[in-house]
Amino acid sequence: MLIQLTVNGETIAVEAPPDITLLDLLRDYLNLTGTKEGCAVGECGACSVIMDGRLVNSCLVLAPQADGSEIVTIEGIHAPDGGPNDLQQNFIDYGAVQCGICIPGMIMAGEALLMHNPHPTRQEIRMALAGNLCRCTGYQQIVDAIEATAKQRQGEMG
Amino acid sequence: MFDYIRAKSIDEAVALLNDPHCVSRPLAGGTDVLVQVRHGPPSFQRLVDISRVPEMKIIEQRGDEIYIGAAVTYTEIIESRLLQETATCLVEASRLVGGPAIANAGTLGGNVANAAACADGTPPLVCLDAVAHIRSLNGWRAAPVAELITGPHQTALHRGELITHFTFPILPSSARSVFLKLGRRNAQAIARLNVAAAGGLGADGRINFARVVPGSTLSHLRRFVEVETLLIGEAPSTELCETAGAEAGRVMVEATGRRWSTEYKEIALHGLVACALRRVFHLEN
Amino acid sequence: MSHFTQPTEYVGRPARRVDALDKVMGRAKYIADYRVPGMLHARCLRSTLPHARIVRLDVTPALKVPGVRAVITSEDFVDHGLYGFPVKDKYMLAYQKVRYVGEPIAAVAADTPQAALAGVQAIVCELEPLPALFDAERALDPDAPQVGPDRTDGRHPNLKSDHMLVCKGDAESELADCPIVLDRRYFTDWQEHAYIEPEGVLAIPTPEGGILVYAPNQSPFINQGNLAMTLGLPHNLVRVIQPTVGGSFGGKDDIIYESSAQVAKLALITGRPVRMVFSREESLVASYKRDAMHMHIRLGADRDGTLRACWFRGILDSGAYASETPFTAWRASIHAMGAYRYKACDVDVYCVYTNNGYAGAFRGFGNPEVCFAVEQTVDELADMLGIDPIDLRLKNCLRLGDETAHGQKLTESMGLVECLTTVRRISDWDRKRAEYSRQTDTDKRRGIGVAIMYHGMSLGAEGADYAGATIAVLPDYSVDLTSGLTDYGTGSRTVFTLIAAEELGVRPERIRIQRPDTNTAIESGPTVASRTTVLGGNAMRAAARNLRQTLDLAAADLLRCDPQQLIRVGEAYVGPDEEAVAWEKIVDHAREMGLILSAHGKWEAPKIVWDHHHGRGTPYMAYVYGAQVAEVEVNMRTGSTQVLHIWAVHDIGKVIFPQGAYGQLYGGITQGLGYALIEQISYRNGYIQETNFESYLIPTSVDVPEITAQFVESAYSYGPYGAKNIAEPSLVPTAPAIANAIAHATGRRVRELPMNLERVLLGHDLQPPASTKPAQIALSIAPRSMPQPAGQSVVRHAAATNGRRS
Ligand SMILES: Cc1cc2nc3c(=O)[nH]c(=O)nc-3n(C[C@H](O)[C@H](O)[C@H](O)COP(=O)(O)OP(=O)(O)OC[C@H]3O[C@@H](n4cnc5c(N)ncnc54)[C@H](O)[C@@H]3O)c2cc1C
Ligand code: FES
Ligand code: FES
Repeated sequence: MLIQLTVNGETIAVEAPPDITLLDLLRDYLNLTGTKEGCAVGECGACSVIMDGRLVNSCLVLAPQADGSEIVTIEGIHAPDGGPNDLQQNFIDYGAVQCGICIPGMIMAGEALLMHNPHPTRQEIRMALAGNLCRCTGYQQIVDAIEATAKQRQGEMG
Repeated sequence: MFDYIRAKSIDEAVALLNDPHCVSRPLAGGTDVLVQVRHGPPSFQRLVDISRVPEMKIIEQRGDEIYIGAAVTYTEIIESRLLQETATCLVEASRLVGGPAIANAGTLGGNVANAAACADGTPPLVCLDAVAHIRSLNGWRAAPVAELITGPHQTALHRGELITHFTFPILPSSARSVFLKLGRRNAQAIARLNVAAAGGLGADGRINFARVVPGSTLSHLRRFVEVETLLIGEAPSTELCETAGAEAGRVMVEATGRRWSTEYKEIALHGLVACALRRVFHLEN
Repeated sequence: MSHFTQPTEYVGRPARRVDALDKVMGRAKYIADYRVPGMLHARCLRSTLPHARIVRLDVTPALKVPGVRAVITSEDFVDHGLYGFPVKDKYMLAYQKVRYVGEPIAAVAADTPQAALAGVQAIVCELEPLPALFDAERALDPDAPQVGPDRTDGRHPNLKSDHMLVCKGDAESELADCPIVLDRRYFTDWQEHAYIEPEGVLAIPTPEGGILVYAPNQSPFINQGNLAMTLGLPHNLVRVIQPTVGGSFGGKDDIIYESSAQVAKLALITGRPVRMVFSREESLVASYKRDAMHMHIRLGADRDGTLRACWFRGILDSGAYASETPFTAWRASIHAMGAYRYKACDVDVYCVYTNNGYAGAFRGFGNPEVCFAVEQTVDELADMLGIDPIDLRLKNCLRLGDETAHGQKLTESMGLVECLTTVRRISDWDRKRAEYSRQTDTDKRRGIGVAIMYHGMSLGAEGADYAGATIAVLPDYSVDLTSGLTDYGTGSRTVFTLIAAEELGVRPERIRIQRPDTNTAIESGPTVASRTTVLGGNAMRAAARNLRQTLDLAAADLLRCDPQQLIRVGEAYVGPDEEAVAWEKIVDHAREMGLILSAHGKWEAPKIVWDHHHGRGTPYMAYVYGAQVAEVEVNMRTGSTQVLHIWAVHDIGKVIFPQGAYGQLYGGITQGLGYALIEQISYRNGYIQETNFESYLIPTSVDVPEITAQFVESAYSYGPYGAKNIAEPSLVPTAPAIANAIAHATGRRVRELPMNLERVLLGHDLQPPASTKPAQIALSIAPRSMPQPAGQSVVRHAAATNGRRS
């Protein structure tokens, strides 16, 4: 069936089977492989994307369910010059990245949090990441990176 | 292989669900359905997406009742001022469902229709004496959630029926409701046990209102009236909460017999119910 | 204590991971992200019985399934694909018998993943069940079903490894003489690596008739050797490249080698690229785990708390194949008595075959298991004697100049006491210990516990210990590095970059390190056992020094002086006339002189000797040390345990890449926390019960507390700049520290891992009825989608906004 959606600001129409997931659509049909599959049952968050302003597990969204929706994936997160944005830069600077497989999902979860709560506490940051498993980092430097970004964005606005 | 169609209204959804040529099931947040289709071939030919039906997304007060659309998500419950004030146990339960992404997608209607024994949305609904409103080609019917859920993954829903919304009476102004969950970890965890409880005091300082609904315990989710009876008319105290907790354990064992998990659950349920009641009666935060 | 003092420019200074940018942008490519034209999809038929004879295997029906291009069995490999190190006991595809649920029997390559599954389901495979063995403690009974291969030396075929011994003095008579003897049994359960990237391999046939394999393995050269051997190809026709690896922790060795051989064979047969990617469910069923270990310890001491003797017996249930578990058993034996002084010691550890999945390498290699036992027993001794647990450890722990239980004299780089005293101070131990000891009977009780550990560096007497590296200046003045030791998320690429920058005197930005590639790198043994920083780092240092000599020569020639007269200002060279000459100019001049601007470096670890028969010698060249304190709150009504904080102080020698070292520590502690409390793999009648992350639970961000970490840098003379290592040791003391904190809170010891709700509340585990269903569902999961040929179905409309934030 024809699925029309906006991905990273670009309006797209794509012909795809109705029974695949949004994750499959992004990876297999749109070649956006930054979104990862770690479990396919909603447990790991590697497939996290922002759909209409909310964090979702794209492995649990049926592709046609996204018809008419606005999707942001990791490929849509960057500075205007195409380089890393502030959150991504902080992930680098705070050592939040190891093997990296969870990182696109972590950045989506971080962006989703900061959209809804610009002044999170460390505990709130941890709660916002609770659906995103990381086996390498122990989360601490990821929390550091998001906390630093929140403070910097606050500074910019204040 | 299955098909997908999106419904724009309750009427349209019900018509699609009853299409004689295509076995159809509702799709809400998909957090149960999509896991199930991964584990085996689907029992349906088509999913009817009801997650965007506007009439099913409403949260409001109607007279002395609260109205919650079946397609309301946990996040919408958490963010609702009205529910924070009138249905604390449901809000607390919603905060403990999955992680943020699951809360953003999962719905109350899906939780009830899926009817898992370990569900976190259903004990609060039963505790609030909620009624499910169901539409089919035959019109409307209403069923208390406690009666609609008949067992683990079993409901009295007929094929082609759609839960449109839930209603429950607002608790007495003196009453408070709470929800506790015991899992193996702090997020993304199936409940080993959970409990929704509510209670209130009369002018004499004695309990005149009590509801206790443990989840993940019986094959049929229900209020533990045995425990509630024991509370009514008493002045709240830590000892009373302990007695009530012990009674909850006893009721569970009587109903289920001794199973592999009973040795643990009997003790833990006692503790969990006692703790929930202490919170209900402000004996602890 | 000797601390390294020589100032450094890059080593030990704040730095960034060299591969972080691609990862945060979502550009890093893992196997599942590769798209190759004409690529086929592979899938394995796997055993659904724990032990069976293959009585019929007919693949012809599968070949008739539309889209199926090739099907292979063990017949398609040289010697049926027999491989394995140190014990050759496993086949690339099962031969004659299957020994665990999930063992691969045949592999299919097809146009689509769906067709591959249809092919798998069409294979006629008749399995005749054999009596199975699930109880490791009964494995050596005379009437136990035979799981291991036949042996001719008269020993029990289920004995997988030798008895690994450590012997000092006469432990029995010493124990008989001790006024205090603790006799305790411990059990640690299986643990899954749970890398977030499931296994995957891509093989591409080469025009020369060889094979190029992209494999997220830990040790590409071992894979290359296995491939050459089982495919019957010369080494130079087999090339293995390691793509970005999404976590490993010891878990991507054998399972990846096996998948590599399968897809390589399928690619050779079909002449097309073939990729196999596991689902999470397949990964959990098929992959190897950390062994389960049954331990029995007897600890003898004087009334003043002086430890005198340790007697230890350990049996590793390591499942159906050896993989690397003989090494695990050996490392477990060496560390079984803990980092303490004893008069006498008697350790015997071995592993056995069973039909419970199979075990292999996993971060810590046996040390987390034994540390759980010995550190709780030592703690219990402190409780019994009314001595503070840290005081008791300080009284007995190894110090500089001591001799270990193995007979090794510790002559340098020994920071254990400093770890203990530091962790005591930063955790506010004495105050909390006293306060929590006074708790009255509340529902929630707090406790604080400590554990120490030591961990031998690198392979030790386990094997030949060497590594190689190369370095070259490219035409654009960038510097190119290769190493035979790999980075699967650990940060070693960054460590090597910093070392090369330090030695060469150039900025790290100038340096690029290649993906590990058997065609360009130098064989360096396996990337395991925390050997990368020291072995690989020293090799890189040697390579860079060699290149530096050449460049210094050129600089001296250009600046008309002696090389000794040269000084460096930033990258530039300065001669006696004090004029700075850019590094590029020196490179140009070297080229004009005809000098070759590339170099090799090799480093071999000092020779050490271990006498297996007498259990004495020098097992490792040196040790890292650490002490961790955990603070917990236990709900006495439910057994639920929250870890409130962890303090970790580790002596890892000189810290080369601080951010990376902290990351290793935090990550390891988190795995240790999961191991302690929630991670549980249950083989029930040989069937795994946990087949995805909804049942195999690992810690989430809200299960892990804030961690306070600190390093003690007691330099090791053979380490690059004095460095030792951190990746493995980080998780070793976490579970016992938590166990000791739980005992402090509750007054009860939990002697089995994981310390789940039931064990903490009741003192024992409860198990639901066993089910074969999860494994069966896991092996039949049907794919619904597949990568589409580029650009076919997509219609794009006008681009709207682009870019999100400035
Ligand atoms: C990672 C993860 C974590 C989870 N954690 C929890 C948890 O902590 N607690 C918990 O309780 N659950 C949990 N769940 C389960 C699930 O999220 C909930 O049960 C959720 O409420 C289901 O709602 P849904 O809208 O996603 O349902 P769907 O999957 O869309 O539907 C579920 C079932 O209900 C039917 N249905 C849906 N809506 C209606 C309707 N209006 N009328 C009639 N039938 C309907 C569907 O046909 C289907 O059979 C978790 C799931 C996942 C994947
Ligand atoms: S892949 Fe979607 S949550 Fe794991
Ligand atoms: S960085 Fe490896 S899983 Fe998070």
